[in-house]
Amino acid sequence: MLIEIHNLKVSLGGVTILHDVDLSLGQGEIYGLLGPNGAGKTTTIATAVGLLKPDRGLVRTLGRDPLSEPNAIYARLGMLPERNGFYDWMTASDYLSFFAALYNLRPSQSEIRERLARFGLAPRPGQRIGTFSRGMRQRLGLARALIADPALLILDEPTNGLDPRGRREMHDILIDLGTNHGVGILLCTHLLDDVERLCKRIGVIVEGSTVAEGTIADLVRGHDRLVRFRLHLGGDISTSHVPAAITVVARTGEWCTVDLAPEIDPDTAWRELLFMGWPITEVRREGGGIEELYLGLTEGKAA
Amino acid sequence: MSAIGSIARKEGGDLLLSPRGLAWLLTMAIVLSVFGLLLVGNTELSLLDNAQVVYDMGGIVTALGALLAVVVGTDAVAGERERGTLVSLLLTPASRNSILLGKLGGQAIAWGVMYAIALPYFWAVGSTGQNLADGAVSVALFGTPVVLGFGFLAMGLGARLESARSSLLCGLIALLLSASPLLLGPSLRQSAIGRAFDAVNPFSGALNAYDAVIIDSQSILAQLPHFAVTLVWLALTLWFAARGFSRVSS
Amino acid sequence: MHMTLRILCLAIALSLTGGRAWASSLGVELTAASSNPRSPRMGDNLSFHTVIRNDGPTPIDGLIAWISLVRIDKGNEQPVDLEDWSAHKAVTAARLAPGEAVRTDWPMRLIQAGTYRVIVSAVSRDSANLTASPFADFTVRRKPVVESRRVLPVAIGIPLLLGGLMFWRWRS
Repeated sequence: MLIEIHNLKVSLGGVTILHDVDLSLGQGEIYGLLGPNGAGKTTTIATAVGLLKPDRGLVRTLGRDPLSEPNAIYARLGMLPERNGFYDWMTASDYLSFFAALYNLRPSQSEIRERLARFGLAPRPGQRIGTFSRGMRQRLGLARALIADPALLILDEPTNGLDPRGRREMHDILIDLGTNHGVGILLCTHLLDDVERLCKRIGVIVEGSTVAEGTIADLVRGHDRLVRFRLHLGGDISTSHVPAAITVVARTGEWCTVDLAPEIDPDTAWRELLFMGWPITEVRREGGGIEELYLGLTEGKAA
Repeated sequence: MSAIGSIARKEGGDLLLSPRGLAWLLTMAIVLSVFGLLLVGNTELSLLDNAQVVYDMGGIVTALGALLAVVVGTDAVAGERERGTLVSLLLTPASRNSILLGKLGGQAIAWGVMYAIALPYFWAVGSTGQNLADGAVSVALFGTPVVLGFGFLAMGLGARLESARSSLLCGLIALLLSASPLLLGPSLRQSAIGRAFDAVNPFSGALNAYDAVIIDSQSILAQLPHFAVTLVWLALTLWFAARGFSRVSS
Repeated sequence: MHMTLRILCLAIALSLTGGRAWASSLGVELTAASSNPRSPRMGDNLSFHTVIRNDGPTPIDGLIAWISLVRIDKGNEQPVDLEDWSAHKAVTAARLAPGEAVRTDWPMRLIQAGTYRVIVSAVSRDSANLTASPFADFTVRRKPVVESRRVLPVAIGIPLLLGGLMFWRWRS
C-alpha cells in the first residue's frame, strides 16, 4: 500500500478537524478523495505527508511513518497542492532545475526541455513564469511534482484553470502514469467528471469522517440508487426481450427510458441490450452514478 | 550544488532578479544617495568632520541593512507560505535544516549585496581616507552579526505568526526598539535604564564599536566587548529562527 | 597698643596668607604641546599639557581636574561638548602631598572650525574655590571634508545602475 490511513483523528488549535478517516491507496491506483469544502480533505493530505501530527490513528505513507521518516517519503513523493505558488522571476527551466537539485538530480537543459514539452509547455527562451497563464502554471506544477519520477503522486484540484483540451491531456498523463508506470495517485477534486474518468476507487469525507470508500460501481450499487438511461432507438424493439433487471419506463418517439436495478452494472447494461438486438444509436445516462451518490452522501453538509 | 547552496542561490536570485528585490535595493541606494547629497548640498553638513561622516554612514548602512534583513527574513518564511511556495520546498527530500541554512545563506547574500552597494558611498564621503578603511572593516565585522540577527529574528517571527504582515510589523518594532537609544539622545542613554539597555543592545554595540574605531581611532581588536554583544544577539536569533522553522507547516 | 596693633596685623596677614594659600595651594599650569600645528585645521590633533601642583603646606585630598572648551567667536560664543573632541576629559588623584604634582596631557581632535579657549579647572574635596589654569586660545581653520566630485557620481550613478537593471529585467 502506498497510503494507509485508519481511524485518523486530527485536531488543530483545540478543534477536532478529522474524527475518523480511513483511506488506502495501492500501487498503480488512482484514488479520488471527495467531500464538501471544509470536510477535511486537505487536512487528511497534510497528515499523510507529515505536515500535521495526528491525535490518533495509523498513518503510513510509502510504508513509512511520515512524522519520523519524512525525507525518505519525500524522495518518492510528488505533490501538487491546490494553492501552488511559483517563483515568478524564474524561467520554467530554472524552476525545474532548482527542484531537481533538491532531489539530487542534475538533468541537462535538453532533458528539462523534453519534460516541459511532455506537459505541453514550450515557453520562449527566457520567458518568466510570471507571464504564464493559469493553465501553463498548472502544467508546470505537475511537471515539478513529477521531476523525480515519484512512486506516489498527490494532486489537489490539478485540472483547475485548464481548458477542456488541457484537462483531457492531464487525464491522459495521469492514466498513463497509473497504468503503465505503476504510480499511485491520490486525486483530490470537486470535478466528478474527472473522478469518473480517472478513478477506480474513491473515498468521501464529510465533516471529518469517511462516509464511503470503495469502487465507484460498488458504492453506487450499495447506495441503492436506480440508474436510468435514455436510449435513442433506430428501430422498433420488442419489450418481451427486456432483461428482468431492466424496466422500460417510457417510450417517446425514438427515445426509450429504462431504469436499471441496483445490482446490475450500468456500464454493461446497455451493451447487453445491444446484444439482445436493441437498435440503440445513442445512450444518455440520467441520474444514478457518482453525482447522485455524492449529493446523497453530502446532503445538508456543504460548507 | 547541495540543497543548501541551491536554496541560498534561489534566495539570492529572489533579491537580485525579481522586481520586488531590485526595488528594495534601489530604495536603499536612494536613501544612501540622499544622505550623500545632503552632505554636499548643505554647508553645515559638508563641514562635518571626516571621521564623523564615515561614522554616520556606517550607522546608516547598518540600519538599512537591518531593515532589509527584516524584510527579506519575513519574505523567506511567511511570504513564501502566503504565496504557496513554501510547501513545495518542505515536501522535497531536502531536510528542514538544509532549507533553513539555505535561507540563512540568502540573508547573508542580501547583506553582502547591501554592503557592496554601500562601499562606493563610503569611498565617496570618506574623502581624505582617514579611518575610512577601518570604518569599512568595522561595519563588515560588527554590523554583520547585527544585520543577520535581525534577519533571523524576522524568519523566526514569520514561522510563528499567522501572516507576513504581522511578522513584518513585529520585526520592524524590534528594530525600532533597538535603534531607539540613538533617537533618544545621549542624556537619556546616561540613565540607569539607558545604560543597561545600551549594554545589551546589539545596535548600540555596533555603533559604540564604530565610534571607538572611526572617531577615537582605537584598534578594532580592542572592541571585543562590543563584538561579544553582537555575537550573543546573533546566536539567540539563530536559535529562535531554527526552533520556529522546525515546526512550520504549510 | 603697639602689641595689639602687631597682633592685629599678624592676624590680618595670616588670614590673607591662609586665604591666598588656600586659594593658591592648588596651582594649575596649562601649556600647548610644542608639536601642535601652528595653524590647525579641522581634523588635526592638538595636545595640551597640564601640571597640577600642591603648593600648600597640607595634603590635598580628592583632587579632580577637568578640561573645558568654549568657542569665543563673536556671535557664536558657546560651550563645546567634548564628546567628539576628546576621550580624555578629567583626571583625579586621591591625595596630593605638599609639593607633589600631577602631570597630564589632554589630546584633542579638532572637530569644528572656529576660535576656542581651553581651560583646565581643578577642585579638591575640601576646597571652597575652583582653581583654573590660564587660558590657551587657538583657532581652527575650515576644511570641507566631503568632495562633491566623489559624492555626486556615486549618489546619482548607483541608483541609476540599479534602476537600469530593473528596467532590463522588466523588458526581458
